[in-house]
Amino acid sequence: MYPDQENNLIIRMFNVTKRYGKMEALRNLTLDVRKNEFVFVTGPSGAGKSTMIKLLYHGETASSGAILVDGMNLGRISRKQVPRLRRKFGVIFQDFKLIPTKTVFQNVALVLEVGGLKPKEIYPRVMEVLTYVGIDDRAEEFPPVLSGGEKQRVAVARAMVGVPEIVLADEPTGSLDPESAAHIFRLLQAVHRSGATVIIATHDQQMIQNHNGRVVRLEKGRMAGPD
Amino acid sequence: MLIFAARRAITDIVNNKFLHMVSIATIALSVFIVSAFSLFFNNATDFLDAWQKGIRIITYLDDTAAESHQADLKQRIESLDGVAAIAFISKDDAYRDLQQKIGQQSSLLESLDKNPLPDSFEITLADSFRNLEDIEKLAQTIAQLPYVDDVEYAQKWLYRFSGIYNLFKVTGLVLVSIFFMATLLIIANTIRLIMYSRREEIEIIRIIGADEEFIKYPLFFAAVAQGFLGGIAGILMLYLAFALTIPNFAPETIFAFFEIRFITIRFALTIVLCSMIIGWVGCYFSIRKFLKL
Repeated sequence: MYPDQENNLIIRMFNVTKRYGKMEALRNLTLDVRKNEFVFVTGPSGAGKSTMIKLLYHGETASSGAILVDGMNLGRISRKQVPRLRRKFGVIFQDFKLIPTKTVFQNVALVLEVGGLKPKEIYPRVMEVLTYVGIDDRAEEFPPVLSGGEKQRVAVARAMVGVPEIVLADEPTGSLDPESAAHIFRLLQAVHRSGATVIIATHDQQMIQNHNGRVVRLEKGRMAGPD
Repeated sequence: MLIFAARRAITDIVNNKFLHMVSIATIALSVFIVSAFSLFFNNATDFLDAWQKGIRIITYLDDTAAESHQADLKQRIESLDGVAAIAFISKDDAYRDLQQKIGQQSSLLESLDKNPLPDSFEITLADSFRNLEDIEKLAQTIAQLPYVDDVEYAQKWLYRFSGIYNLFKVTGLVLVSIFFMATLLIIANTIRLIMYSRREEIEIIRIIGADEEFIKYPLFFAAVAQGFLGGIAGILMLYLAFALTIPNFAPETIFAFFEIRFITIRFALTIVLCSMIIGWVGCYFSIRKFLKL
């Protein structure tokens, strides 16, 4: 058993730096996240919140330092191991990142197809999750006809359908009205209650103040400490 | 995985109808041109073969040849290399034959004082003796024999035809190579365009944990399907063109010894298989370039 698992740590970041050319988006970031923890990563625009999220799901690679996710060292995993790492995550984006040519159902089902489930297993599972987020009546619609709140509910459904260990949300409520934002947040809390580790990158201070969760504050790519 | 890949490929084809249709149409056109050339070569080869099998050297005798000279000449010709059979056609037989051939105009012959046709030998060549140079040499040898007035065979026509045939053969090979490359590039570019138009989708699929096979298989499936459909469409176009044009030539009235044939099923299947392989190769190159991490 890895020491991280003994300590119940699912994410470990050691002195992580990420550079884009000469610009440092993250500088010497060190952070541990326990299993089933609820973490807000906050800070102003350009603080490095999105970069941190990208580094975790290996959308980017760190310029220096080490990142461990559930015992996997991201600096040392092979290309073939990347999909296995990513299946540990459910990722939610501010711009939803739904496939416009696929229906709501197909967008969500894709996660299970990638996971190799059979169609007869996929259908009930997807419908169950769509019902849970309250969008089952629009299962056959295409994303362009949905409202922002509905799109984000589909994105949440997609993030939770594979029962991931970690849910990453990058400004999930950034482009939503308050009512939709509250709904999305309630869904993320439900995901957390079901056992997942949830990391939300947001600069929505009201959301942070109204809910329990550990707060990690970034400023200019550095850890500025808890709020 | 393969069923998903097939389903997703079909969805992709339906979603990108125009792009795929253009690609399939271009492949069909390339296949049409390539198989049209093959059709020509196959038939031209058969035609030359059939024509050469039917080659006879007609040896016209001069009027001074008595029966004994004719018998002697026949013996000498029979002993020559490449002669399979020799038949004497008397001037009277030739006259009757001519009368039959010209039919209603045969009254024209009645105004002649005497039969202008000479006695002749019709020489059939051995099966192994089909080389044009050999035939020409044999004809020259016969022409130098005594009592031979003239020797005739389809020399010039054959030379001209085989010249055109060889020219077409070279041009055809060049064109086939060009179309092969063009088809390959078109498929590779279509796949690249599809991937480019779907780069965000591919990125999303990667984020949710898809491995490269999950992304690649549908594209390979679509490319091979394009090759298959393009191949079938090209062959059908050729068949349609063949069925509509060839009967109008009424070839049986022009060449009694030769029948124009469509390409064989086996050859058609080979072409379809080739265009599927081209689809696969085109996809392989564009994917290799695009999916580099």
